[in-house]
Amino acid sequence: MAVVYEFMWRMLHALLHLQRTILSWFRISIWNWNWRLWRRAVATVLVPAVFGFQNHTHNNKKLVPGGGKKSCGRVRWKSDGKSLEKLPLHVGLLIAEEEPRYTDIANLVVWCMAVGISYVSVYDNQGIFRRNNSRLMDEILKQQQELLGLDSLKYSVEFLNNSNDKPEQQVLSCQATVKVLSPDDGKPGIVKAAQKFCQLVEQQQQRSADLDVNMLDSLLRGTKGMPDPDLVMKFGTVDSTLGFLPWHIRLTEIISLPSHINITYEDFFSALKCYAGCEQRLGK
Amino acid sequence: MSWIRKGELTLIERLSANILKAGPMPKHVAFIMDGNRRYARKLHVERQQGHTQGFDKLAETLRWCLNLEIREVTVYAFSIENFKRAKDEVDGLMELARQKFSRLLDEQEDLEKHGVCIRVLGDLTLLPLDIQKLIAQAVLATKNHNKCFLNVCFAYTSRHEITNAVKEAAWGVEQGLIKPCDVSEFLLDECLYTSNSPDPDLLIRTSGEVRLSDFLLWQTTYSCLVFQSILWPEYSFWNLCEAILQYQLNHHALQKARDLHAEARVLRQLEADRCCAAELLQQTGLGKPLDPQLRQEAVQKYTAEREGRVHSFLTALQEKRDRFFTDLNKGSIASAKA
Repeated sequence: MAVVYEFMWRMLHALLHLQRTILSWFRISIWNWNWRLWRRAVATVLVPAVFGFQNHTHNNKKLVPGGGKKSCGRVRWKSDGKSLEKLPLHVGLLIAEEEPRYTDIANLVVWCMAVGISYVSVYDNQGIFRRNNSRLMDEILKQQQELLGLDSLKYSVEFLNNSNDKPEQQVLSCQATVKVLSPDDGKPGIVKAAQKFCQLVEQQQQRSADLDVNMLDSLLRGTKGMPDPDLVMKFGTVDSTLGFLPWHIRLTEIISLPSHINITYEDFFSALKCYAGCEQRLGK
Repeated sequence: MSWIRKGELTLIERLSANILKAGPMPKHVAFIMDGNRRYARKLHVERQQGHTQGFDKLAETLRWCLNLEIREVTVYAFSIENFKRAKDEVDGLMELARQKFSRLLDEQEDLEKHGVCIRVLGDLTLLPLDIQKLIAQAVLATKNHNKCFLNVCFAYTSRHEITNAVKEAAWGVEQGLIKPCDVSEFLLDECLYTSNSPDPDLLIRTSGEVRLSDFLLWQTTYSCLVFQSILWPEYSFWNLCEAILQYQLNHHALQKARDLHAEARVLRQLEADRCCAAELLQQTGLGKPLDPQLRQEAVQKYTAEREGRVHSFLTALQEKRDRFFTDLNKGSIASAKA
């Protein structure tokens, strides 16, 4: 009997994997076509309602893959940002995919800046971006030039380097801060803050009973801390935060997108619209 | 048992369960039981009824988990932030807790028969004293049961939990049991309220919200997160199966990520031990021995000493925690006799 159940389990998972493959094939092969409505319809049809994996709430928090040409609407980006009920102050880009594409990530960062988001962090589970920090920075500056063109001088980006917190590049007034994060900023960061506090206790500058949430929060944030992420856009099919800033994401909305490869501005903006529709009751 | 509904799965549910069990199953599932008040509004009933239905749904879900051989469940029953709610709602929730914990104490035989261990996690000193005493009794009565585990997060937020863990580590330093450099991920794991549980494999949040709301932030870094739009009192066996399927689809990738993190953790600890051992040698005036064999021995000696210190500290911490419950319990026995 166990053999029968195992066989049925394998069939079920084979079907689910097939569904995923078909969806991603459609997403890749038809992004060139500008028939967005048709694409969304096909993708919706291919997601069997009985499995309900795409979490079809009216807010549509797990997005149906879209596509389309890169729209050249930098003038409209700023007004798009203003048109939203609320805009996140800090967006975390969580790349939960094996092979990151620097151009696409740079696009996302530049779009964030263009719509008026002040802080952007980029994270992956293996520390790839941290190790290739300068490559990512170069790509962001390049895309900033390409997408924002003549306007790029109005937008400046400050890269927070984790080792010494000095700005790498500063032009005119600072409009956006970009930080590259890795798993070392998560639990190990909390451990470092804990050690710092314990040292103060050992030196009798603090008592253990004095510690509260706000004190630990300031120890963690340091002098050039960013605000907590309001929104995390998670790219890829892995349903986890994969170690992204555990302390800081207590109230963060987590919106999943299928992939960052060939991500379009429309898909990015849909995630922002989704965020704008979220209601936070803060316990009340 | 009032907390675990009686009943068995239907034939089709049993068949589906058996198919699912052919694959990897989560051993520990956490639930954010969201949507009671929206459910009450939907049905045009009082909020309190929404919460009561929510509790009934919890009892049903625990039954399904047992049927699916999920032996550990953690639930977010009441957040510290929820104290901000209207007084009558908070009082209503406290009254519900009072009733349910009292009922639990009447069912001790059943709990023993099924081996149910109840733990309550949170800053219990924020609760009314009579509820603290009921909780203490329930926790002590079921302490040694080990067939299945129910962790109820009550007066809990993850940031408070992590802060408390750091406080405990600092207390250890104050008592001279450990040094600041002994503080590690492992040590903080052991100082959390959830120290007796493995990290949840799967976290399910109902009602469509897509955030963690200060729940198990440390413990769910590599858990499968499933956000379902159904309201908690409407949760069904099929919703649970859907979540488990999602877990199974993510299992391989998450295992890989977890292993990577575990490897990095071991390396970090080794590096920290090397630094501390070298520092110690400097301090004792021996300098850095050129012989790698001697250096290796110094690191091993340091690691053994550190592990010894941590072990004594954790023993003292466990005694402190047990004393909190036994003192509360003594208080309730004394007042019962009076």
